[in-house]
Amino acid sequence: MSMNAREVGKKDAPFEREPARRVFAAELRECRYQFKEGEEEKSPTFVLLPTGERSNRIYLVGTLTEKQRQGEQNLFYRGRVVDPTGTFFVMAGSYQPEAMQQIAKIETPAFVAVVGKPNLYQKDPASSPLVSVRIESINVVDKETRDLWVLDTAARTLDRIDAHAKGEGKDIEKAKEQYPTLDPAVFKKMAYEALAQIRI
Amino acid sequence: MDYSETAQRISRKFSQKNQTVDVLKIEGKLRRLVDEFGVLPSEAERSVTNELLKEFNLPVVTSSGGSGPGGATEQKKIADAIPGDWVTIEARVVSLSTPASAAIAQSGILADESGEIRFVVWAKANAPAMAEGLWYRIESAVVDEYRGIPSLKVHSGTTIKELGTANPLIPVPAQVIDLHTGVGSVRAKVVQEWDVTHERMLQQGLLADETGTIKFVLWKEPGKERLEIGSVYSIFYALVDEYNSRLSLNLSTATLMQEEGDMPTISGGDVAIRGAIVHIAPGSGIIKRCPVEGCNRALSRQNYCPIHEIQPKFVYDLRIKGWLDDGEKTHNILLQRDVVESLTKIPLDAAVQIAENNPLGMDEVFLRMRDALLGRYVICRGREIDNRLLVNSCERLTFESGEHSALLNRAGGAS
Repeated sequence: MSMNAREVGKKDAPFEREPARRVFAAELRECRYQFKEGEEEKSPTFVLLPTGERSNRIYLVGTLTEKQRQGEQNLFYRGRVVDPTGTFFVMAGSYQPEAMQQIAKIETPAFVAVVGKPNLYQKDPASSPLVSVRIESINVVDKETRDLWVLDTAARTLDRIDAHAKGEGKDIEKAKEQYPTLDPAVFKKMAYEALAQIRI
Repeated sequence: MDYSETAQRISRKFSQKNQTVDVLKIEGKLRRLVDEFGVLPSEAERSVTNELLKEFNLPVVTSSGGSGPGGATEQKKIADAIPGDWVTIEARVVSLSTPASAAIAQSGILADESGEIRFVVWAKANAPAMAEGLWYRIESAVVDEYRGIPSLKVHSGTTIKELGTANPLIPVPAQVIDLHTGVGSVRAKVVQEWDVTHERMLQQGLLADETGTIKFVLWKEPGKERLEIGSVYSIFYALVDEYNSRLSLNLSTATLMQEEGDMPTISGGDVAIRGAIVHIAPGSGIIKRCPVEGCNRALSRQNYCPIHEIQPKFVYDLRIKGWLDDGEKTHNILLQRDVVESLTKIPLDAAVQIAENNPLGMDEVFLRMRDALLGRYVICRGREIDNRLLVNSCERLTFESGEHSALLNRAGGAS
């Protein structure tokens, strides 16, 4: 549906759910910059991917290799999900009761699909920021779903690298500013290696 | 606190009536009322306005005697009346609706050749009751705004006279894209029906024509009947409201004419979306529906239908509501029973068995379906209207080695 005259001057756009970006662990690990769009308390926070796209939510599929229950009063789970390029650090706390129940009953190792929100945090002011993913949902899946995710994520990553090269996209300039030393070509190599690990 | 905005507003009101007022003086009066006397700002605005109205010998809304038509009242066409105006109009009552409050004697819609406007007759006005379909001369009424929509207020200073004219006035239905807040007439097709969200609501759903879609709501009132899905209607004099920056048609005041035949609507083509199911919403799985002919609403856990109340002889059904995400955009999806059965491999009778024999009941069906679908890649085909994809068919994606080698070439190609 096209925008029309009656939309002009409207304050809020109709609700749109933030899409879940596809990103390999090796790219997500490089994120150092996150920002908020808008002033309000509930405005979404975005982690800027080095290939030049904002992500408020990601969808990933990999192998849950470890999970750990932590905390007494504030119970939460940490886990490691491995893809062909590296490791995602995922967590579910008491604010995500459904995600906590889901991860509690998964036996490692298992292929899992995770939908969640990436966040940057620093262990102490001296260390470089780490990226963790706050789980919205986690579910056991099959190997075929994992393989489909690798194809999908490789395709999306290559699309972002192409857009970066052409300078098309609203966050490319920001990415060049924030990640001046990162050459997107390394992510092309990463995508190739991820694809090559899938046995046909 | 800043009073300049309020003062400006008052000043504008009077300049429309060709009177000049001292903005600074008004501001001072407002400040004194609010800061020194603790009067509510809205009340202070009213009081200052009324004081000035008296000063200029203009009719005051709250005065009980009724000062008759003031010098600044002009005879206007409806389309030219803007909020703040004192007007005299000649118009036809095209619709009467049930007043929302005891303070209101009559409410509805007035129309002339130029347009339509909502109106309210205050109970305090002691005005003669107007009848639907007749023309009246309404002298010295006030146009104001309610939720940003112009509305004509008949108060105790207004006089109403019936006119002998019998001009029938037939509005030309607009296209959906041209509707704006206020009053509208449109010719459109009922393309979706949604669950009602209030016990007084009779029906809600989506209307569409070639130019766009708009939500409609029909409230339970005597004589109101539900619209038939798939039918085309000419709708005259509906209230067009705005919620969350979307327009919505309230059909309470409208005259509806069901038409023969079909019409093209905006979503014409089917779409196919490949992506991952990233969320299964509550209300998915096995549900109970109201058995009353033509109702079919989803019942609450207590078997309660918002219209037909407790229905112990409900009918079971399957559905999935959720979000399908292609990495660029997330699509709201709705899967009906046959699609759910083929995708989850859980037929309705098996789901009923699970629901009736498992300690978790219907939740168990939800959990099994969620675990079978969440995080999976699928391709959904269907019609997308107003951001919701009504899915006709949905299947799991399978690994294509051709796609794999194409991507290997693409990733390895230039390096």
